[in-house]
Amino acid sequence: MFRQARYDEPLIFEIGRKNTSKSERNNVVPEKISRKKLPEIPSLTEPEVVRHYTRLSQMNYGVDTGFYPLGSCTMKYTPKIVEEIAGFEEVNLHPYQSQSTVQGSLRIMYELEQMLKEIGGVDDVTLQPAAGAHGEFTGMLITRAYHESRNESRTEVILPDTAHGTNPASAHMAGFDVVEIPSEDGMVCLKALKNALSDKTAAFMLTNPNTLGIFEENVCEIAEAVHDAGALLYYDGANLNAIMGKARPGDMGFDLVHFNLHKTFCTPHGGGGPGAGPVGVKSFLRKFLPIPQVEYDEKKYYLNYDKPDSIGKISPFYGNFAVLLKAYVYIKLLGGNGLKNVAELSVLNANYMKEKLKKHYPLPYKNLRKHEFVLAGSELKEKNARTLDLAKMLLDYGLHAPTIYFPHLVDEAIMIEPTETESKNEMDKFIHAMIKISKNPLKNYSPKNTSAGKIDEIGAAKNMILSWKMFKEKK
Amino acid sequence: MEIKKDLKYTKTHEWVKTENEKMRIGVTDYAQEKMTDIVYVELPEVGKELKKGDELCVLESVKSVSEVYSPVSGKIVEVNKTLEDSPDRINNSPYNDGWIAVIEIKDGLEIKEFLNAEEYEKHIESEKA
Amino acid sequence: MNYIPNFEYRKEMLKEIGVKSIDELFSDIPEKIRIKKLNLPDGKSEMEVKKQVTEILEQNKKFLSFLGSGIYDIYVPSAVKAITGRSEFYTSYTPYQPEVSQGMLQAMFEYQSMIAELTGMDVANASMYDGATAVGEAALMCSRMNRKKEFIIPGAISWEKKSVLRNYAKGAGLKIKEIGYDTETGKINLDELKNNINDNTAGIYVENPNFFGVFEDEIDEIKNIIGKALFVAGVNPMSLGIIKSPAEYNADIVVGEGQSIGNPMGFGGPLLGIFACKKEYIRQMPGRVIGMTKDTNGRRAFCMTLQTREQHIRREKASSNICTNESLCALSTVVYLSLIGPDGLEKIGRELVSKTKFLSDELNKIDGFKAPLFSSYHFNEFVIQSKNDINRIHKKLVEKGVDPGLVLTKQFPELGNTMLCTVSEMHSKEDLLTLVNGLKEVSHV
Repeated sequence: MFRQARYDEPLIFEIGRKNTSKSERNNVVPEKISRKKLPEIPSLTEPEVVRHYTRLSQMNYGVDTGFYPLGSCTMKYTPKIVEEIAGFEEVNLHPYQSQSTVQGSLRIMYELEQMLKEIGGVDDVTLQPAAGAHGEFTGMLITRAYHESRNESRTEVILPDTAHGTNPASAHMAGFDVVEIPSEDGMVCLKALKNALSDKTAAFMLTNPNTLGIFEENVCEIAEAVHDAGALLYYDGANLNAIMGKARPGDMGFDLVHFNLHKTFCTPHGGGGPGAGPVGVKSFLRKFLPIPQVEYDEKKYYLNYDKPDSIGKISPFYGNFAVLLKAYVYIKLLGGNGLKNVAELSVLNANYMKEKLKKHYPLPYKNLRKHEFVLAGSELKEKNARTLDLAKMLLDYGLHAPTIYFPHLVDEAIMIEPTETESKNEMDKFIHAMIKISKNPLKNYSPKNTSAGKIDEIGAAKNMILSWKMFKEKK
Repeated sequence: MEIKKDLKYTKTHEWVKTENEKMRIGVTDYAQEKMTDIVYVELPEVGKELKKGDELCVLESVKSVSEVYSPVSGKIVEVNKTLEDSPDRINNSPYNDGWIAVIEIKDGLEIKEFLNAEEYEKHIESEKA
Repeated sequence: MNYIPNFEYRKEMLKEIGVKSIDELFSDIPEKIRIKKLNLPDGKSEMEVKKQVTEILEQNKKFLSFLGSGIYDIYVPSAVKAITGRSEFYTSYTPYQPEVSQGMLQAMFEYQSMIAELTGMDVANASMYDGATAVGEAALMCSRMNRKKEFIIPGAISWEKKSVLRNYAKGAGLKIKEIGYDTETGKINLDELKNNINDNTAGIYVENPNFFGVFEDEIDEIKNIIGKALFVAGVNPMSLGIIKSPAEYNADIVVGEGQSIGNPMGFGGPLLGIFACKKEYIRQMPGRVIGMTKDTNGRRAFCMTLQTREQHIRREKASSNICTNESLCALSTVVYLSLIGPDGLEKIGRELVSKTKFLSDELNKIDGFKAPLFSSYHFNEFVIQSKNDINRIHKKLVEKGVDPGLVLTKQFPELGNTMLCTVSEMHSKEDLLTLVNGLKEVSHV
């Protein structure tokens, strides 16, 4: 049975001796700017610090702890060798080191670009964006530069109502107005898209398979319509895991593609980051990619800054190198054949679970799904409970909850993505728990086997204690 | 769910109460119930001129944000400052303590477009369906 | 090694689904865009991959380097890696289910708290990508708060940071104005700043210490000069044990590159964007924030809060598009700061100042060099000027296995043959003397 550690662990500030008086030494900086009182960070010994954070780690659930079917997040197992290599001392280099002395790192980056080109079906790749949303923003800036280079004023970005929240936010940050179109049968409504497209449209952003786990079957017609309108087609790579080695965004007609290395290539998620969000483009957009681009002249690898049409920089250096290295190692381990197996097994697993669960929770829209599927929690409401209660009840089984309440077009949405690294045994346990809960969901459920009971999020928003400083002030 | 007989309503779930040349505005019981616990109200500034349909204020619960639209054109002459510290007044007393703002009306004709209690109830039913 | 189970159950599962083959599960992909396989080599064993990647990485040469400008070589205590290496932390995701994520949530609350202590601000977010994107986000935040459209920066910041900022500013239509520096002191030109403030100034960004490693000791003046515009302070967190917190010179928002407090350089990433502000601005702050609350049993607990600012709820109206951040790097930082403590932070700062002084004094003795170029107090880096071609000098030294610093001739041609020389806590006295002797040897070539 699942029992998460439950320590009454104090804040690290409450553990140690306080030592904030400034030592009686001479100032090494001008009096006007010298610090009179040391910052109030704790003063502790190593064992105290290590015990505190070890206990905290035991109050945290990761993929290594158990099943983590968070939809659209691709929480798969990361081979341990990946972490080990990223910790090598040869990785800890200053980014300004002379290029002749960092040939190993440049080679890794160059080769990773080649691999991503092949996987995405694109002509060039930048590794610079630090996350998926950062990649979207980069893609939108490239879109802007492209239309500007043609002296066209295109101000709108269209996206379907199933889009991740980052899509509209990224488009807006790049200065575009966002136009949302409704879905039809869980897919892009071609008619609505055509109506929305105009000479104002800069791009259409699409996730495929979409966030319902449905492959957009009309993707080729979508591409044609978007291109006919003079707009670009953008691929949100959050769900690439489902189609690797089976189909490529570039072949579908996408002009820009971002990859989420922390999802598809499990670099892993790090409690929320760091990630990496490389962007691939078709050749006609190549000249707009950020500088520098890693290139190879048959003798040496080098950083090419000589790109006058480039959008400039999106990160201070070359991207999250240590994360890129992890993705490189992962792709080397699996190879072309392995990546194809990843897609096949992730889709097999999702459809297996869907088949078992759809008798107990309504499955809106078509039956065949890719790597994830979305159930409706509407029948829980009839039993006076909600999807939120289901999520909290699952935690007590030692299972992480699925993504809930997204996408918005499914009532009480339950979005499940098992990934390829889960065994049938683990999935069966989850299925069993889901079925059991469907029969007797409990309203306002507070989990009992977790480190904390149900959290008062309303209290958190109302009282707003966001730091030790604010905590002391409230007291 | 309460619908007050003496108030007028909009299709976007605001209530209005005419007070001479002014109009007091809030959100309905139905609206606050849908939003669940309101934790923050972004109030407008007194003196701001609004057109009918402009954003009057923003209400936030933990997981959602709802805009309240001005049902009339005019100038904001009063806002309910108590909502800054106690946004839950909107949940507890949507028609009284939870009022949001008072607007000086510019165009008297706009008032005719409001729903009465009966029509508003029908509107909710049709939205639910 | 096998990372993908269920091969043996494949038939049984297919039967359950009601299809005959895996391919049938992909029948919804139009025929004309299906591919047979990827043109990549087949997978290799862990042993082979490790060998191959090790060989590639060994082509990197790590040697004595005096490079810095935001990224600094520091000693990361082993205990830091021991904690961030715990897979309960590094294999978790954004803590959407707080009941099973209390560990990371509390650690991030502690991170926010420590950044608040260092900067004197009330609150920090749980990280941005890096110091450069944090400046970009700060500029957007200023403009959101006061709806003004100009943002002022010092001309003397890294060109990469400027480029990132311009990209962040583009969508909002923000105009970026640059202010020069005093060629004697290397400090920001306050008169020029004063003359450039107008009714449309959203905010101003000033770094202390600045790009040249110079302390802006007139920084108290800035808030008076800029009037209603917002003040964004850029910090080198390593200096915050010895110099005033930005709160003491009335900054509204504080940003910085946090790599140097607990994270390796990683060839420029992942980094850690520090972002802190006064509590009255919190609703306009970008990024994830963790708050303290209680669970149903009344016990102290933590959760993500103020999420209505974020993209997954507010979509195009969100304060930023950021989702994935740099949590694990923030975890490194909070463990690092706990280990070194306030005294450790002060000690590192003091030592950097005195080592930097020692090095610049020694270099200044060499014929043909002036170090530091600017007559000011320096933190951990300084500009050195040569009478001869600095690019050649730099190249010669690299050939000898020493990287003497960042050549500035491209970005600051007006300074002549200059280079930015950075001292790190990793440098021993011998290392510093190696640079001195190296420069002596090559200075006349």
